[in-house]
Amino acid sequence: MDKLKLEILTPNGEIFNDDVVSVTLPGEEGEFGVMPHHASLSTLLEAGVIDIEKDDKSVESILINWGVVQVDEAKVIVLVEGAVAIRGDNESDIANALEEAKQLINDIADANPAIASVSARIESAAKRLL
Amino acid sequence: MANLKDIQRQIKSVSNTQKTTRAMKLVSTAKLRRAEELAKRSRLYAAKMNQVIAEIAGRIKCNKVGGIDNRCFADIENPKMVDIIFVTADKGLCGGFNIQTIKAVKKLIKEYKDKNVKVRLRGIGKKGVEFFKYNEVELFDSVIDLSSKPDKERADEFIMTSIEDYKDGKIDGLHIIYNGYKNMITQELHVNNVLPVDTTNFECEEIQNSILEIEAQDEEHMLDSLVSRYVEYAMYYALIDSVAAEHASRMQAMDTATNNAKDMVKSLNVQFNKARQAAITTELIEIISGVESMK
Repeated sequence: MDKLKLEILTPNGEIFNDDVVSVTLPGEEGEFGVMPHHASLSTLLEAGVIDIEKDDKSVESILINWGVVQVDEAKVIVLVEGAVAIRGDNESDIANALEEAKQLINDIADANPAIASVSARIESAAKRLL
Repeated sequence: MANLKDIQRQIKSVSNTQKTTRAMKLVSTAKLRRAEELAKRSRLYAAKMNQVIAEIAGRIKCNKVGGIDNRCFADIENPKMVDIIFVTADKGLCGGFNIQTIKAVKKLIKEYKDKNVKVRLRGIGKKGVEFFKYNEVELFDSVIDLSSKPDKERADEFIMTSIEDYKDGKIDGLHIIYNGYKNMITQELHVNNVLPVDTTNFECEEIQNSILEIEAQDEEHMLDSLVSRYVEYAMYYALIDSVAAEHASRMQAMDTATNNAKDMVKSLNVQFNKARQAAITTELIEIISGVESMK
């Protein structure tokens, strides 16, 4: 099957760079999924969760606060300002990541109606890992 | 020949200077490590951001996206006023670091003056600001303590004026000039043409078979917001890159100063010994000639 190259970059470095099966992004006008051979597209992302489906069918979630995405046939480049990956090898790592993610949500200053659902989503993402 | 006491005093003073410069070098080394780390981590992001922007700008230029009339991507043929933002250090003693930036700024101002374009100079960093004040070059505004402690929020605030004015058509261009970090021993001067987005290096052929699609409803809003972020980040990146370069430059300058002081102490020591020997010889001659005369 064709692969999609996904790069997620923050001002503090790269947090994801690998081939993936598909990725779901929180676009400004709603969530959208990207699979290989997607048409070229540039758009803004709002605060939300990026769900990445990896080769082994596992799903990784990354919380972001703002971003811009550039999609073309073979790769997706996501530039975000702040991001926390909900991942870890053991329970305490995941709990830490979750804590950080909540911190990031609190930092997003403007009261955004989407925020409540975002916190619910990261909680469930963390549960999935446990 | 200088007298012994004078030389001794000089040796002492030079070795004190040497101690100071060595300490300053150590401080810079420590600070450099932190600044370098920060700049390194951001470099990838900055590069990708530039790439994304350049690609969008290129596509707009090559008419792949219809009906977009955004000033940030337009070709402005007869600019009337441009903003030049420069970043220098707040402190001196870092070799040619500041003067290089200042020279580049002066050159760019002259270029624009020759073309009858007004320049609005905005300064960050005490050294540069002081230089232009002293030379009675008018500064539109300036910030003093931002370049030694880069802060995203304050950088955003500072650059916002330029972005707004650009969008309102008050200015027709924006340049950021700073001395960036290349490696431990070299700095690299950057003159970034931030606005309008530079599309000169973009080849239309490269993108012929892919069509850019921007979420239709809000393309103006999206480009606006993207460009603002891009410019803000360009500013912030200039600041952190400049800090890293400043510390590298100071470290080197202080290293050279320490070595020079060492050489100076050495030659002063030789001078001191010569003077001492001369004094002994004179004394001996005096005694011997005294004894001789008594015979």
